[in-house]
Formats: sequence, C-alpha cells, structure tokens
Amino acid sequence: MTETGGRVARNRRIWSGSPPRLLGTMLLALAATALLLHAGDTAGDHVPSYVEWTPDTIANASSGDEFRGLLLSRHCAHCHGEEGFSAKGDTPNLAGMARLAIWKQLLDFRAGKRISFPMNPIAQSLSNKDVADLVAYYSKLPVFYDPDDKRAFPQPAPDPVQKGMAWRLINFGDGERGIPPCQACHGPLAFRPGAPALLTQNGPYLLQQLEDFATGKRANDINEPMRTIAQLLTDAERRALADYYGAGLGLNPGTGPEPRQ
Amino acid sequence: MNWRAVNWRKLRTFLITAFVLLLIPATRFYQIDEPILRLFHNPRRVDPFSLHVEGEFVENNLGTEQNSDGSVTVRMIGQQYLFIPHCILVPAGVPIHLRITSPDAVHSLAFLGTNYSVKVTPGIISLAEMQFSQPGEYKTACREFCGAGHYDMRSVMKVVPREQFPALHDGDRGTCGAQ
Repeated sequence: MTETGGRVARNRRIWSGSPPRLLGTMLLALAATALLLHAGDTAGDHVPSYVEWTPDTIANASSGDEFRGLLLSRHCAHCHGEEGFSAKGDTPNLAGMARLAIWKQLLDFRAGKRISFPMNPIAQSLSNKDVADLVAYYSKLPVFYDPDDKRAFPQPAPDPVQKGMAWRLINFGDGERGIPPCQACHGPLAFRPGAPALLTQNGPYLLQQLEDFATGKRANDINEPMRTIAQLLTDAERRALADYYGAGLGLNPGTGPEPRQ
Repeated sequence: MNWRAVNWRKLRTFLITAFVLLLIPATRFYQIDEPILRLFHNPRRVDPFSLHVEGEFVENNLGTEQNSDGSVTVRMIGQQYLFIPHCILVPAGVPIHLRITSPDAVHSLAFLGTNYSVKVTPGIISLAEMQFSQPGEYKTACREFCGAGHYDMRSVMKVVPREQFPALHDGDRGTCGAQ
C-alpha cells in the first residue's frame, strides 16, 4: 500500500512538476538533433550511393517474389519492353540483368544519387519490397531472340577493326594503362556485386553511360571504378565497346576477331 | 584414491586456468566476441562495406593530403581491379604516410623499381612510411592474386620536385590533374 502510494506520488512529481521546463528541454533536444542531422548531411562528402553490399543487403535484394514483380512490371513495360527488351536503343534492357545491379540502380534513383528524368519519380514511388520483386522478375527473364518482339537489341555489328579493339579490351583489358578487362566484372567470366550484365545491353545506352561516367555527370559507382575506367578509355574505344555489346557479340566471348588473311 | 595427497592449490590453479581458456571459444560460440573486440576500438579497423558512405575513405578524402609538418598523407583504396585514385601525386624528399584499405579482397600494392610494397586487406587500414629522394614516375601493380582482372590492376605514382608540388593548405588534396 505504502509502496504503491510512494510510486504514484513519485510519478506525479515527475509529470506535474513543471511542464514548461520539460517541454522546453524536449524542444531543445529536438533542435539539437535536427542541427546534428543537418550538419551530418552537409559535411561536403560526396557519397556515390547509400547501398552497401553487406550480406543483409544481398539477402534483401534476393528475397523478391517474381509473380508480384510480373504484376508491377506492367508499369515498366512501356519503356523497357514487354519482354524486358526496349524498343529504343537509348533505354536499357532489363531482361536477364544481374539482380544486384537493378536493386542498386533503383535505390540510387530513389535517393537521387543517379539522375534520370523519368526514373527518379518512378523509383520514389517504389518500396524496398517492390524493388526486390521487380529484381526477382527481371533477372529471371530469358534473353534469347524473339522475332515477334519489338526490340532494338541486336544492333548492326561494328567493322572488324572496332570489333577487335573492343574484343581485346573486354577479354584482356589494357595492362599498360591499368584498364581491367570488362568481363572480369560484367560477365560472363565473373561478376562483382552491383555490376550489371552487359551481354544483352543496348549500344547507344552504353555509350551514353560511358560518356556520363567520363564527364562525371553520372557518379553513383561505389569507390569510383567506372569513372576512372571511362576516363582512361579513348573516345574510339568507348564507341567500339558500346557497339560490340550492342550487337550482341558479348554473348559469345570465345569468338575473337577474324584471323588475318 | 588418496584425497589427502591431492594438491588442492595446484588443482585450483589448473581449474581456473582451464575455465579462463574456455572463455575464449565461448565468446565465439555465443557471438559476443565482436562486440567485445569493438570495445577496444582498434583505430586500424574499418568497415569494408561502408568505405564510400562514411569515414576516412570517402571519395573526396582520397589522394594526397598536406600535413602541417611538411609530410603528406596518401589515402587509397585497392579494389578489384583498380587502385583508387588511379594516379597519385607526391612531392620528393618528404615523408609519405600511406594509408590504404580494400572493400573486397586481399591485394598488395607494389611500387615497381622500389622496395616499397604494402599488403592491402579488407577491414584493416594498411600503413606504410615511404620517402622518395628523386622525382620520377613509378608504376604500381597488384602483387597478390585477387581475381580475373588481377594482371591489369596497375596504377601510377608521380613524384614531383617539392617546389612543383601544388602549394596546398592543410587538408587540401593534390591530384594528378589531366591523366
């Protein structure tokens, strides 16, 4: 009895003491927190992307439901195609794309780390679950040729000189300049987390992205590998690589340039 | 058994030692070893996943930094299959403190033509103290097999005379400029 009474009295003392002071303290704490958060936000560090490839992130990105992704993808099909192959060359194909690549790009679009007029508002309307479902659907779409589908994908093949230049860079890179082979991260030899599969990607889109990386217009690559490589590549090499991948030649990594006669 | 012959003091010492030794695998078993280690706060440990988000190795902190005592600090990231920044600019004849870490795999940064070589390990900041007496251009290479693009993992270090090194304020970064 006395215990209860004492506890109540103590509680009363806290809440009935001086509400203005309590309120003032709370407001002050709130203001301090807001100031701290604001200061943290404007520290001046360029953060390319908030995505971190922790095991948790990879598990989240791989936990999607492909049927729900199929339903959601009706909104994407207008630009990215009914089968994940777009009708215009400057829009990326999503069929068979690496899971973590779609996940990272959608999250970067949502956070404003990658700028694209149509994609920023669209990504802002998606939840993490929606993104995971879309990832599950698009990463499982087949990539083989369908003559009935309206797609821009296999673009005309480049001439043999360009083809040889691109083939060399994709398979061996250039050690003198420190350019690693493209296929060491973008497949089919190996993949790094977040690196998109380029084997069925559109050439004009790839060229645009390489140029944006080189000029720094696109800067959402973690620890800036693509900005560095795009700057090291010459104009002709960028075009050759885009044409090579755009013609679907990356699908057959074993086929090199034609032997000299 | 003759209980009078037991040396209780010895037995007590043995039992306490055994208990303490068993505590070490027990921390691993109950997954409290990492929090315990974190209490000691080793300043050379970094989270390899969040290098680009916060801490010492964010993008605009990489490169050559001028210290107030005349020496320079070089911060780099070695990742599959590039050293970032790709080209480093340092002055000759001053101490260089190199700090490098990796987000993915074990690499090894070797400065060709010199004896300097640093092992690059994810989660740990590798340190090296270097000094170049002569200006010149040094190629660097990865000397620890790190994956498919290992043989192309090379970069450049440009050592310039001290007068030509950009006059930096404390905290500014020197860069190679146009590569």
